[in-house]
Amino acid sequence: MSAQRELRLRTCGALRAGAPALPDQQRTMKTKVIQVSGLLLTLVYAALILWLYATEPRSFKEAASGAELAAGTYQINQEKFAAGQRLFLAEQFRAARAEWQQADPAQGDARTQFYIAYSFYREGWGRVYYDQDLFKQGLEAAKRAANLSATSQLTVADPNLQMHTVAELQAELEQGLERTLSDANPLKVFRTRK
Amino acid sequence: MHFILLPMIFLTVALLGGVRIGLDHALIFVAPPLITLVLAILLLSLLVRGRLVELHRWLATDQAPLTNVSHGWLLLTLFFASAQAFNSALPERGLLHWLFSFFFLWTLWNNQFSVFDARRLLRSLIVLFGTAFVVKHILLANLYGPEGGWLTKVAGTLLRGASLGTLDATPFAPASGYLAFFTLALYLAGLFLLAFHPPGEAEARLAAPTDREFLIDVDAIRQDKAESRVERLLP
Repeated sequence: MSAQRELRLRTCGALRAGAPALPDQQRTMKTKVIQVSGLLLTLVYAALILWLYATEPRSFKEAASGAELAAGTYQINQEKFAAGQRLFLAEQFRAARAEWQQADPAQGDARTQFYIAYSFYREGWGRVYYDQDLFKQGLEAAKRAANLSATSQLTVADPNLQMHTVAELQAELEQGLERTLSDANPLKVFRTRK
Repeated sequence: MHFILLPMIFLTVALLGGVRIGLDHALIFVAPPLITLVLAILLLSLLVRGRLVELHRWLATDQAPLTNVSHGWLLLTLFFASAQAFNSALPERGLLHWLFSFFFLWTLWNNQFSVFDARRLLRSLIVLFGTAFVVKHILLANLYGPEGGWLTKVAGTLLRGASLGTLDATPFAPASGYLAFFTLALYLAGLFLLAFHPPGEAEARLAAPTDREFLIDVDAIRQDKAESRVERLLP
């Protein structure tokens, strides 16, 4: 209650000395509660908008997966992942990637991203030359895997693979993208795929 | 309303203003280009000149700090909503983007020197955004869209060829147009609410006595008068 108003009411005798001015206090309190809750609510909404623009989900499903990832409750589809592995071993790399992309729509699982990168490596590897586009995509996936496993070193103990860490795979993909004089070496046809 | 509803409306405009729906029905988020921020500042200054935003009532030293913070936040959401409303009405790339930007810039700049009141400003904004919406989401979307008759396709190809590709526009799904319409309508509705219920009114209402308190005042005056009469009558 403003001092002027209080003085006016006291002069009129409406408020006795020492009597609490309850209605005004209640209203001020109510306004404060509305202001604080409004601020909090709209700040949370603004944070959600920023997050949406930062992650740019392509569908509502992807947005939901992203939210799960942010909340730490994200889990990949294990069945799809296993199906992708079977296709990978059968050298059907594109089909394997399609399965893994469905298994990990939010691209939030380091192991799945490692396998996707590996499939790009194996598909792009050639005895005479490497497919640059596939290697570039593989490098992107490997970088995603590296970012996701930044806190702990990811080691994939799969006997069907010859590279078990993201660092090895990333180095191999980067090497394949480099243009050097050794590319002209005819003996490179004897190198083996990892 | 000024602490919850209006910020929510303006934030929703800020969210939807940059959302497009691709031809494959994928969501595309277009961050506001730099020019939209400049346009938003010009529009805010116009809103202040048109007394739709009364800064002296929104941010005042005699108000509680929390009220000032809330009004400041409302101003910020209004700024981002304005930027995204422009983003929604502007073509995404090419010469058309710059033509539209120049059209907005010219109109807003000219309006800075005109005499405005809130109603005239709102009418002017409806015309401004309405024109941009019709040109972008109806005219250009039909000209460059994958659907349409052979005449539309020929006109689109001719326009693209004659302008050497500079008048090219990104085709989106028709849902983008509906979304833009809803966004602009929501933005203008927010401005209307702001015009008819400006912040500061609620605080003024709070400071004014309620009917009950007014009756208490009247009773007290009556009582005082009666007492003074009795005092006069008594020896």
